[in-house]
Amino acid sequence: MKGTWIRWASYGATAVALVFVGALVGSLAWESLPVWRQEGLSYLTGKTWHYRGALFGALPMIYGSAVVAFIALLLAAPLGLGAALFSAEYVPGRWRWAVKVPIELLAGVPSVVYGLLGLLLLRGWIYRLLEPFDPLSGDTLLTGGVLLAVMILPTVMTLADDALRGVGASQRRAARGLGLTRAESIWRVSLPQAAPGLAAALLLGFGRALGETIAVFLVVGRQDNQWPASVFSPRAWLEAGQTLTSKLGGSETFLAYGDPLHWGAIVGLGLILLILVGGLTGVAGRWLPQARRHA
Amino acid sequence: MLRGVTVVAVTGLLAVIPAEAKLRINGSTTVNPVVSEAAAILRAEAGLEILVDTVGGSSGGIAALADGRAEMAMSSRPVSEADRKRFPGVDFRSVRIGTDALALVVSRDVWAAGVRCLDRPQVRGLYEGTIRNWRDLGGPDRRVVFFNKEPGRGTWEVFAAWLYGTSTAAPLVSLPGVGSNAEARSKVASTRGAITQLSAAWADGERTFALAICNGDDELAPTAEEVLAGRYSLARPLYVITNGAPEGDSRRLIDFVLGERGQALVERHGYLPLAKRSIMGGAQP
Repeated sequence: MKGTWIRWASYGATAVALVFVGALVGSLAWESLPVWRQEGLSYLTGKTWHYRGALFGALPMIYGSAVVAFIALLLAAPLGLGAALFSAEYVPGRWRWAVKVPIELLAGVPSVVYGLLGLLLLRGWIYRLLEPFDPLSGDTLLTGGVLLAVMILPTVMTLADDALRGVGASQRRAARGLGLTRAESIWRVSLPQAAPGLAAALLLGFGRALGETIAVFLVVGRQDNQWPASVFSPRAWLEAGQTLTSKLGGSETFLAYGDPLHWGAIVGLGLILLILVGGLTGVAGRWLPQARRHA
Repeated sequence: MLRGVTVVAVTGLLAVIPAEAKLRINGSTTVNPVVSEAAAILRAEAGLEILVDTVGGSSGGIAALADGRAEMAMSSRPVSEADRKRFPGVDFRSVRIGTDALALVVSRDVWAAGVRCLDRPQVRGLYEGTIRNWRDLGGPDRRVVFFNKEPGRGTWEVFAAWLYGTSTAAPLVSLPGVGSNAEARSKVASTRGAITQLSAAWADGERTFALAICNGDDELAPTAEEVLAGRYSLARPLYVITNGAPEGDSRRLIDFVLGERGQALVERHGYLPLAKRSIMGGAQP
């Protein structure tokens, strides 16, 4: 009797969650319809956003989001994977918490606190650090990326740690028994076995960085229509920019309400963001269970 | 056990839903210090329930009032024709509570190098990016960083109307954006070569400095005297706005702000109160 109750409750909860997600995507798509009708595909490829002239091109914001998330991953990946290797392979089991708990505590800090720290400290540091390159201000894509790196570090580290610990102890013992050193057994056994899980950890970290709003909002500069001379040039990282989330968190959202086209353009940014993050999470999700199955 | 969890969860949910506030106020960060302090006094003395928020600036406040998300808007610009057209069912009633001198506020290095005033073509050049280095204006050899107030901020609307006639005539520029007055001030203070449009009352004279406006040989500083004499053209009225005639708690708050104590608050925050007598007594913004 109790079993049935729990089963129905879990079905119900799942159904509610699915309906909710479906309704969310549906309503975002519906509300953003006017902008797709006017701009078509150039909503995604246009480089100019000027709401007074009813021009809506989201590409610079997609670029901004991708760059800050990429910088964050660039910094968080070696740190997160390194810490995970240390905690999973070198630290004796009963001391593992001493590594893991402090890093996971980073995830518990509210993002507005990160934003304020970024505003008070990081902007100034980056500004002084970049002095030789004559930066315009401390509000840069790089500042946003560095701040995000700290924020996604716990995600990357915890998931990578889980993936590494999922590698069977018997395989490790076999590797050591065959005479491999600890470093060799990590390199030859643990890392290849855990690879899908490690990749999933990085992807989920990237997704988290894409979706973060308030911390980025405060330090990224919120400059519209920033399109670099070369997409791959890191020089543009030292300029202010705009991300999908910093646009959504800004005052334009309040202005747009009531004007179907402008509102559609703003909601469309939310849809793009949702699809990006959802896609990444989906891909990561396909890898993650695979990693778990090895356990 | 399960029932316990449910009870905890439901109680938690209830705690998240905020209690209905009697009077919700939203809008301009320029007007906010005065209204917030008035609200705090009325809360303590008369037990009124008042919530004050500044998300979205003046236009955000006006939209919130029109949508019924607030009972009162704070604005540093008048209600425009565009607002009335956008919200035809709303009966906007503005009450002026004081005057603010808007200024172009620069960072310390620009001020220290001797930049003291700008004329309109120079401001236009800085805003549109044709003047890229302070050297061209007798300042330091440093690139210009124009922190532009976000669209919808009363400050921006008034600035654009002053520079281009109407805010809709303002050209498309790509500049880093700032929202609240506090953010604008902190970013100018921490960036060399920085300039922003900001209420003169918010320039602290230590790390941020309000420039005068040159007009021929005249140098008009954003002071009470110049504003009152009508010479300083970047001044703007400050408003609180209601939908329909203010009544109840809205009425009480407005009466308080217009009264002696409220006007003293206006003056203390660096703005010009309505009565001329007390203006001449002080309030150098």
